[in-house]
Amino acid sequence: MLTSKIKNITFNSPIMLSSGTFGYGYEAIDLIDQNKIGCIITKSLTLKKRDGNKHSRIHESPSGMLNAIGLANVGLEKFIQSKLSKLNTINTNFMISIAGSTIDEYLDILKVLEKSNGKHIGYEINVSCPNIKEGGLEFGVNAEIIYDLISGLRDLTTKIIIVKLTPNVTYIEEIALSAESAGADAISAVNTFLGMSIDYKTGKTHLNTKFGGVSGPAIKPLAIAKINKIFQKVKIPIIGMGGISSYKDIIEFIRAGSTMIQIGTLNYRNPSLSDQFFDDLLNFCKIKNINNISELIGKNYAE
Amino acid sequence: MKKKHKTTKIQILWQMRRWSFSYINWRLTTAYPRGWKYAILHPVIFVKDLWKYLNWCQLIDKDIN
Repeated sequence: MLTSKIKNITFNSPIMLSSGTFGYGYEAIDLIDQNKIGCIITKSLTLKKRDGNKHSRIHESPSGMLNAIGLANVGLEKFIQSKLSKLNTINTNFMISIAGSTIDEYLDILKVLEKSNGKHIGYEINVSCPNIKEGGLEFGVNAEIIYDLISGLRDLTTKIIIVKLTPNVTYIEEIALSAESAGADAISAVNTFLGMSIDYKTGKTHLNTKFGGVSGPAIKPLAIAKINKIFQKVKIPIIGMGGISSYKDIIEFIRAGSTMIQIGTLNYRNPSLSDQFFDDLLNFCKIKNINNISELIGKNYAE
Repeated sequence: MKKKHKTTKIQILWQMRRWSFSYINWRLTTAYPRGWKYAILHPVIFVKDLWKYLNWCQLIDKDIN
C-alpha cells in the first residue's frame, strides 16, 4: 500500500530521512522502526574532513530552523573506515550524500565509493555547494554545470543518482530538466531557502556566516510550489521535502508531484517521528481505499 | 475544544534519554565546530543553546500537532 519505486528499487515506505538530519544513518537507528523507512540519506560527504563553520551555525526560528553548518563531516577516508561498516548492518536502504567544491571532487568521491564494500543503493548529489572554479557560485544554480556534473557521475555508476536541488533559483524546473537529461534517476527538492536573522537588540546576525538556509514547516508552501513546477516538466520521480510535519503534509507533497518524501528538520525535534507518520499514512490509505499511495502522485486540481 | 497539552522542557529532556552516545556526539558535532570538546570548553554557550533548543522544541510541537 505504501510501496514506492525509483529505478529498479522498490521501497517499502515513501518516507526517506533527509541528509544531515539523521547522522550518518546508524547513530539513531534504534529509535526508529526500520520497516517504516524507505531509505536513509547519510550526512553529506566531502573528499577531505571538514569542521564546518564557526559557532553559531544553527539558529532556531519560529516554525523552522536556520542553519549554516558548512558541510561538517569526517571526510571520505574516515567514512569508509569507520562509518560504512556500521551502515551496512542497518535493515533499510541507505544512500550516500556527496558534496564537493569542484566537479572532479564529486567524481573522485564517487569512484572511491563505487569500489568500496558499501551496501548503499545510490547517491544523493548535494549541488548546493560553492563551485570554486566558478567563483563560489553554487553548482545548483547553473543548468549547464549540472549537466556536466551529473553526466560525469552517470558514467561512473549504475546505482541510483538523485540530484538535490536548491530552491534559490528563478526557474528550478530548468535545472531539473538538465539533471534529467544528464541521466539522473530522480530529483530531490528542495534544499533550504536562503535566509538571515538578526538580533533586534544588538544588530548582530544570529548566524556567524550572516546567511544560512531556512528549513522546517515555515517553507512548506514554497517547497510545494517548486515541486509542482518540476513535476510539470520532468518525467523522473521527485522526492519532495520542505517542512513536512505530519502525514497530511506527506499527502500534500505527493499530490504536488512527489513519488517519495524526506523528513528533515523535524528529526531534530524527535528522530522517531517518521514512524508515526508512516502509521498515519497507512490508516489514511485504508480509510480512503487507496491501493497504493502512488495513485495520488500529482493529483491536484485548481478550483 | 480540548486544549492541547504543552510538553514541558523536563519532558523533552526525558524524551532524549534513549538517544545513544554516538547520536548525541553527532548532534554536538553538527552544532559546534569541534563537537563535544567545544561544548565542554564553552559551557555557558552550551547551556544557552540547549535552552534555546528546548524552547524551539516546544514551539515546533505546535506545528507537529
